[in-house]
Amino acid sequence: MRETYGRLLPEMRLGDLAGKLIVIEGTDGAGRSTQIDLLKPWLEELGHAVVDTGMTRSPLAGEGIRRAKEGNNLGRVTQALFYATDFVDRLENEIVPALRAGFIVLTDRYIYSLMARAIVRGMDPRWIRSIYSVALKPDAVFYLRLGIDQLLPRVIFSRGFDYWESGMDLYPGHDMFDSFCSYQAALLTEFDRLSAEFNFQMVDAAADARTVCAQLQHNILQLLERDSRKNYMSRLYSDSTTAPQPAPHPALQEKVHDRERTAKPLDTALFAVATPVATPSTNGNGHHNHGAHPDH
Amino acid sequence: MEIGSGVRIGPFEVFAPLQPAVSMVRHYGEHHFPGRLIVVEGIDGSGKSTQLSLLHKWLESKGYGVVFSEWNSSPLVKDTTKHGKKKKLLTPATFSLIHSTDFADRTERSILPLLKAGAVVLCDRYIYTAFARDVARGMDRAWVRDLYGFAVKPAIAFYFRVPLETAINRLLDGRDGFKFYEAGMDLNLADDSVESFRLFQGRILSEYEKMIPEFGLTVVDATLPIEIQQMQVRQIVKAHLDKAKELRVQA
Repeated sequence: MRETYGRLLPEMRLGDLAGKLIVIEGTDGAGRSTQIDLLKPWLEELGHAVVDTGMTRSPLAGEGIRRAKEGNNLGRVTQALFYATDFVDRLENEIVPALRAGFIVLTDRYIYSLMARAIVRGMDPRWIRSIYSVALKPDAVFYLRLGIDQLLPRVIFSRGFDYWESGMDLYPGHDMFDSFCSYQAALLTEFDRLSAEFNFQMVDAAADARTVCAQLQHNILQLLERDSRKNYMSRLYSDSTTAPQPAPHPALQEKVHDRERTAKPLDTALFAVATPVATPSTNGNGHHNHGAHPDH
Repeated sequence: MEIGSGVRIGPFEVFAPLQPAVSMVRHYGEHHFPGRLIVVEGIDGSGKSTQLSLLHKWLESKGYGVVFSEWNSSPLVKDTTKHGKKKKLLTPATFSLIHSTDFADRTERSILPLLKAGAVVLCDRYIYTAFARDVARGMDRAWVRDLYGFAVKPAIAFYFRVPLETAINRLLDGRDGFKFYEAGMDLNLADDSVESFRLFQGRILSEYEKMIPEFGLTVVDATLPIEIQQMQVRQIVKAHLDKAKELRVQA
């Protein structure tokens, strides 16, 4: 059964969350959203229903966070808690209902980025961990890792330095470049620490997008196959227990084996059949916006 | 790690170091700033705001630098809370988190700098409100206490204790019913807002009772005449401020 990191929110049932929660983590500029844009259509082609979500996309707090960040007077604790509000709103009203409906949830960042940012800003790690103890443990965390040397050109030659990505709230005396380097280096250190603790699957994000994507696809397929195999076996098992049969003929047994072996490439399709393509229920609050989020 | 002494972790200063839930009661954000923090707590209709406003006037007349901060009033956050309440987007968890965000902003932006500057800071509702309401909504007691681990401990936390029926009569005198979240209508306790209010505030009252010993709240009997209550409040505040003469604003 699915688990949280220790504490359960009121009315959060974990029993029937059949979908898959896949996290793409990494620092700013590591190519997370590019990968999600590639993975989503690929998964849909395979027959999986996909919801993608990410920071500040909650109907409750997304707009408020964006407004607060415009003013550059957002304190560290306030920032950490505003993001936690955004996260829990999406957890309860988007992620959990989607998992319950059997969707694959692709999330651009998860609690790890939020913890890293808070810890780098001097928050007590125990405090931020306690807050996020209500989060679901994902099925996989892919960490797109990029060294600071590789990160710099991506930032300089695409969008330029951003106040918050440069951690200017932490180093008000620095210029954007110095601040960016110190901040991103501190984040990388923290990510590496979290990586060991939370069992990230490391992906070298310095490679070109196609190569990174191929690696992610490979790992995701493994995850889905492992699961559909489990489903398949348990269905066989429950069939045999609900309808007791005489011991199967050896030849029949052989056949089952064969089917299992030859079915392997189709296993993901089998999983897809099991996922209803219905809209997830709304948790009684009437707000969910799968796929209809404003873009980043 | 020292508590509340502006400890430095790495290059960044943390103003109110955060403690795990177990040790929180004893250590809760003790500060060494020259200012004094005084808060009032109680259910709606307990008369706490009236008492605080009378205290405010008195302190000002005595020459203290006084600043008032109200629950749910952060300029950065309150619009989000309002939006969430209006559209009924809030669950017990996000209700809790958005209020802690509001409180964090007021702590970082005003309460803390003002205490450093030596002001008397008066808060209408404080973390105990969150503890009572969020737990009444089903949040984990320890989780909510952890959440507010960054808060500064008040010098005095008055709790205006009033029976539920008295509070309801006072409130219904001025209006027809209760607001959705105020009455805990999100919990589906009852269809009628007055009945829901009664059940929800009953839970809150029992949380407050538990917090009196846990946090050393100063209990005021809120059924007494306003003047008597105010006399008691002023006496207690005076005893605290006598030790802190430097807080007075030069006339």
